[in-house]
Amino acid sequence: MQSIINSIVKNRNLIIYLFLSFVTFNYLYNNSSVHYSGIGKIGTYISGSTSSISSYISSYFNLRQENNKLIEENLELKKNESQFIDKSDNRDISKNKIDKTIIAKVILNSINKSKNIIVINKGEINGITKEMGVISSKGVVGIIKNITDNYSSIVSLLNTDLKINAILKNSSTIGSISWNGLDPRIVQLNDIPLSSSIKVGDTIVTGGMSFYFPKGIPIGRIEDYNNTSLEGYYSIDVSIFSDFSSLSNLYILQRTDDDEIKFLLNE
Amino acid sequence: MNRGIVKDITLSLVIILSQLLIFNHMNLSGTANTFIYVSLFILYKTTYDKTYLILFGFLVGLIIDLSLQTYGAHTLASITVCYLREKIEKYSFGVNSILPLAMIRGTRLSNRLTYFFLIIFLHSLIYFSLIFFKFEFTLTIFLYTLINSIINFIVIWIVSKLIFDR
Repeated sequence: MQSIINSIVKNRNLIIYLFLSFVTFNYLYNNSSVHYSGIGKIGTYISGSTSSISSYISSYFNLRQENNKLIEENLELKKNESQFIDKSDNRDISKNKIDKTIIAKVILNSINKSKNIIVINKGEINGITKEMGVISSKGVVGIIKNITDNYSSIVSLLNTDLKINAILKNSSTIGSISWNGLDPRIVQLNDIPLSSSIKVGDTIVTGGMSFYFPKGIPIGRIEDYNNTSLEGYYSIDVSIFSDFSSLSNLYILQRTDDDEIKFLLNE
Repeated sequence: MNRGIVKDITLSLVIILSQLLIFNHMNLSGTANTFIYVSLFILYKTTYDKTYLILFGFLVGLIIDLSLQTYGAHTLASITVCYLREKIEKYSFGVNSILPLAMIRGTRLSNRLTYFFLIIFLHSLIYFSLIFFKFEFTLTIFLYTLINSIINFIVIWIVSKLIFDR
């Protein structure tokens, strides 16, 4: 306590000076419009700068929360997008075909095998069933293969067993996407007849002629093609939109008309 | 009360009154004002308490501000000069700053000139910075400060000679 008092006594001139300066500035601020606006500007600048610094720092601590918020928002958008895609199709639109989208996190992923499988942290108790389509924010990822209570495995697009119905976005020519097991960034589009007009850069989307995906979900873009085949079909390489090496959040599409279609097929 | 102190108080009142009644109304070509009251802070004896000097500076500055409607510009310039006077003394006179009238006698002329000019220049700089209070006027502030510093320096130097060299 004594040292505090000593320190105050020692610096009394500075304390008195600062106090009187404050009083004078206050007098200036309250009585002169020039100083009022000038000091006001300085105050705004200081508060703006400090707020931006503190919000910059605090934003780091909120990143996880922000990320979750964005994922939720993305999920909503995906739902809306799939409804829109279905509406663009000329079928009965009285009922949304994508009833629900489930979000999941990737817990196991591989791209270096010929039959790649992805495991996610959602399972039967989350409403996931076999053969549901799985997409990322950029495009098609695969189809649910096996499910347990809490986990599911996905047959990745990078699996030589998987074939997905696809169309050329511009011409609606139907083909199928499969992977030859070589380059994890390139898949092959088959069954496009040589009579079709294609060019490098054309977008490939899902055809909607399967249980798994509605029409119009992006798959990739034509990287290269070969029209010298004797069988009458192009040999097309498609670079996929989804980056399979860095998959994190996936969306599982739950269709409401699955049962109807299956029933018809079984008839 | 000590006779010397009575004399100093009387002298202070005379200088303040002359500032209020005469020098406040003098304006040379629209740019130069004479702030003779700054001589009080210059001639304040080095042996007197520095805390009183700051309070004295506040009081004098406030009186001038109220009379000139300058809303605290004189007050802030005065208390800053009073607060920094000890450092300016040490810078100007070195070890001789312990002499009660170092600014008048017992020290070299160049030291005294430096001391006078530093205080007057600092006072003018703070005063005009507060009066203009915008970055766009930086050049004008320096121009006014320089002109006023020179004029005030001459006036205050003459006044100090008149007071102490009688």
